[in-house]
Amino acid sequence: MSAADPLQVIASAGKGESTRSVLRVIILALIAGAAVSSRLFSVIRFESIIHEFDPWFNFRATKYLVANGFYNFWDWFDDRTWHPLGRVTGGTLYPGLMVTSGVIYHALRALTIPVDIRNICVLLAPGFSGLTAIAAYLLTNEMTPSPSAGLLAALFMGIAPGYISRSVAGSYDNEAIAIFLLVFTFYLWIKALKQGSMLWGALCALFYGYMVASWGGYAFITCLLPLHSFVLICMGRYSTRLYVAYTTWYALGTLASMQIPFVGFLPVKTSEHMPALGIFGFLQLLAFLDYVRSAIPSRQFQTFLWLFAGTAFGVGLLGLVIATSMGFIAPWSGRFYSLWDTGYAKIHIPIIASVSEHQPTAWPAFFFDLQMLIWLFPVGVYLLFQELADEHVFIVVYALFGSYFAGVMVRLMLTLTPVVCVAAAIAMSNLLDTYLTTKSPAAPDALSDKDADGKKAGKAGLKSTSKPVVGIYASWAKSVIVSSFAVYLLLFVLHCTWVTSNAYSSPSVVLASRLPDGSQHIIDDYREAYQWLRQNTREDAKIMSWWDYGYQIGGMADRPTLVDNNTWNNTHIATVGKAMASSEEASYPIMRQHEVDYVLVVFGGLLGYSGDDINKFLWMVRIAEGIWPDEVKERAFFTPRGEYRVDGEATETMKNSLMYKMSYYNYQNLFPPGQAVDRMRGVRLPEVGPQLSHLEEAFTSENWIIRIYKVKDLDNLGRDHASAVAFDRGIKKKKPVKKKGPRVLRVE
Amino acid sequence: MRLLPTLLSLLGCLSTTTLAAGAGASGNSKSSTNLRKLPPTERFNLYHGKATASSSAAPLKLLETDYRALVATPRDYSVAVLLTAMDSRYGCQLCREFQPEWELLARSWTNGDRKGEGRVVFGTLDFNDGRDVFMGFGLQTAPVLFFFPPTIGPHAVVPPEPLRYDFTGGAQAAEVVHHWLARQLPDRPHPPVKRPINWMRWISTFVILSGGATASYVAWPWVLPVVRNRTVWAAVTLIAILLFTSGHMFNRIRQVPYVAGDGRGGISYFAKGFQTQYGLETQIVAAIYGVLTLSGITLAIKVPRIADPKSQTVAFLAWWGILFVVYSLLISIFRTKSPGYGFALPPFM
Repeated sequence: MSAADPLQVIASAGKGESTRSVLRVIILALIAGAAVSSRLFSVIRFESIIHEFDPWFNFRATKYLVANGFYNFWDWFDDRTWHPLGRVTGGTLYPGLMVTSGVIYHALRALTIPVDIRNICVLLAPGFSGLTAIAAYLLTNEMTPSPSAGLLAALFMGIAPGYISRSVAGSYDNEAIAIFLLVFTFYLWIKALKQGSMLWGALCALFYGYMVASWGGYAFITCLLPLHSFVLICMGRYSTRLYVAYTTWYALGTLASMQIPFVGFLPVKTSEHMPALGIFGFLQLLAFLDYVRSAIPSRQFQTFLWLFAGTAFGVGLLGLVIATSMGFIAPWSGRFYSLWDTGYAKIHIPIIASVSEHQPTAWPAFFFDLQMLIWLFPVGVYLLFQELADEHVFIVVYALFGSYFAGVMVRLMLTLTPVVCVAAAIAMSNLLDTYLTTKSPAAPDALSDKDADGKKAGKAGLKSTSKPVVGIYASWAKSVIVSSFAVYLLLFVLHCTWVTSNAYSSPSVVLASRLPDGSQHIIDDYREAYQWLRQNTREDAKIMSWWDYGYQIGGMADRPTLVDNNTWNNTHIATVGKAMASSEEASYPIMRQHEVDYVLVVFGGLLGYSGDDINKFLWMVRIAEGIWPDEVKERAFFTPRGEYRVDGEATETMKNSLMYKMSYYNYQNLFPPGQAVDRMRGVRLPEVGPQLSHLEEAFTSENWIIRIYKVKDLDNLGRDHASAVAFDRGIKKKKPVKKKGPRVLRVE
Repeated sequence: MRLLPTLLSLLGCLSTTTLAAGAGASGNSKSSTNLRKLPPTERFNLYHGKATASSSAAPLKLLETDYRALVATPRDYSVAVLLTAMDSRYGCQLCREFQPEWELLARSWTNGDRKGEGRVVFGTLDFNDGRDVFMGFGLQTAPVLFFFPPTIGPHAVVPPEPLRYDFTGGAQAAEVVHHWLARQLPDRPHPPVKRPINWMRWISTFVILSGGATASYVAWPWVLPVVRNRTVWAAVTLIAILLFTSGHMFNRIRQVPYVAGDGRGGISYFAKGFQTQYGLETQIVAAIYGVLTLSGITLAIKVPRIADPKSQTVAFLAWWGILFVVYSLLISIFRTKSPGYGFALPPFM
């Protein structure tokens, strides 16, 4: 080895341990920076604005928390939603997100940094994505000795679109911090398991508690950790390390999770928490048996084992049956159940089936969100089978279940992404470690004892790794692999940026379109309409709309709503659905009973906007039909030939429904007579538009996306609205007119 | 499936049988008018007696004459008639799926109410037996369930039009239809649906389980190495992951077609659009992922373990070439699914 060899000089530059640590820290910081900055598209393009629907509620709750303090927030009863029911908000939300923002806000204030709470909320998700990248680095480092794998995992985690989809700036949702907590909890679990340490177990429980406080998806951890333990036990790998780690996590974690009012006693009651409890009990039995085995002779132990196992099984089964039949253990909750029996939701819970995030995932979505990671992922999983230590089993189990759940529900792509990043990083780093080295094996014959770091292939190992590692002979082959994978990585970065920029950075509150000359045109109808509501209506004017817009109306217009995105009361939602799906005469009493002042509909016919209410209308009908099957019938909205139409051929029920009338009221006046076209559905509308009698148009936004109608008060003269409108229009009621005699001039 | 335009077109080709049926109908017309003239209570007793004659008599298989007699006004009882088309000529899958549920419902209701307190008669009218009834309702589809409420008596309903139950959501379970019927019959007994114990299923489950247990006991020495084999588990895991990530669950849930025509007589392997896919398409994609994974594994594990430089070079070139070409193919397939996608790799640019 000559010192003059330039390659050696370059290679030895990063050899020192301290240099490497510094480099690693710098690289991680850069990755975190890249993760944050790739999520800022929407802030740069539009402005610092909260996105979509749910974030608007979280934002509103955060503002309440910051303004009124924690204890008031905890006891918050919100009378401005779910009118007239109200909502015990403090007890029905996951407070982790709001508390996190509140703490950051107060910390910055204490440091005399004046910052707006809105900006904290907007930038919370990107900030936490940087932390997620670091957590992925830590988790991967537990899996493999290769130091580069962790950095690659951090990079993948930072820019993978599967995670970006829920964490761009402005996407102020529970997932924003939950994915960091998920990955970090897993890291702590692996650490606790590897060391059998109670301290790490307690830390794991702490972060698990934080996770429970933040996102309903905590059930994923609650099920995955017991499953991992169970698989380990089945593989005959019970150890005191496992016992200490699991029992510490379970005992403390369950206590922590029960502190959240929304969770309460669910961890000991519902079925999705039962695996964790079952494994907890099972581990106690195993620990007891382990102890007994060490204490008594082996023959007696055999008898003891059989008796003991039989009794334990019997008692356990009996207890389960009794507890279930007495109703102590609730059946699986609907959302969770729909993950297993995939047809369940469609039949029984239309409100779950109606949410697009709950739809199954087609393959392009996987490729779109993960690109080349999707095929590197199985490679990494396979590589983990080489050694298959306890922590590798975890990744394998996680990979299997994560991909199953991601396949069933689009939204759960989010929980799959971390494991994909970790496994793909292991695969990629393995490839690079093999090919990105200047060392080549010298001669084919002197290799048997040369593989210094070659893995010792045991008998239980993989068949493919039974031979010793030799290395790559041809340096051109190395350069080919390295350069092609460099191209793939570059392409991956380009893909991620493209996806983020095009698909995930639209606030959906503000729509962007292109004018014919290529310049950007911003469609801001939502905010225009909400601003109108804020300025032109009474502060307690009740707004009725479909539940999708409830949070936005509450957040942006600050007006009470009937239903919102927290779909806890199906009947109330069905009431709104019924009002929308019935005729004016039938829905007027419903609206009066609920003190509705304004009705808001979203109409995309003029602009060709697909997310409008006519497209969602069938779900309203279905949900209403679930409660009032006699009054609302889905069949009546389809033509006899089974088509869902809005043009002249539409059914009478459709044409008379409040939703149809509100959507198309006056719409034909925009066009020359007989030329009215619905651009979304691409159909020509009838020449005579619908007439409204119980409502009057109050506001229509620039592009007609939002239309607001005022519900008329009772008629002053006690007429019904239809005849009052007919009178105003000058249609005379046919009434026998009394003939009067000729006028007589009174002379006195 | 449900749409039966064939049903009506068959009317034309079966004109001869229609004639025969017409003759039969005219021959029966006398008894039919007699039946119709009976007072409603006697009519009910007659048909209820028939239905309770044996435990499997309900629902009554009606002829057109029976049908006309049953629904004749005035009536102080209710009638639930399923209009169906069981003949294999019509290919009505839904009719066949619903028939056992319907029989179960009618039987448990009739046998649970042998005294006839609820005064409900269950009947089935097949298209072959009551073509004119179908025509009279203008039915294009089958099956359809009609419920005729009583026109006289304490539960009389105004107007006496029959209520129609459409099977828009596919074949319903007996309980769902029971729920609907019970809603139409307030203040009257609603005998619950009693599903008979499926002995055959229990026995077969038992046999299969015990057979499996025996087989695994006998084969244990051979099975154990397989169960403990890490390569087997790795293969199973990878196959499962590839299945799930290539959209298999989407196929299961949405029941997508395997392939579809492209409208020009050819086969279209890839569905147009980002949110759709075909069965074959996912298999192709899974195979592509599989090949990419395999080449990745080989390059990472196998190639550095080949001791002979020559064969190592050959293996390297082969697997690297496969990886390069197939990945490019995958991206080009994705481009067809998502037209705005601008990235490509050679050779499939």
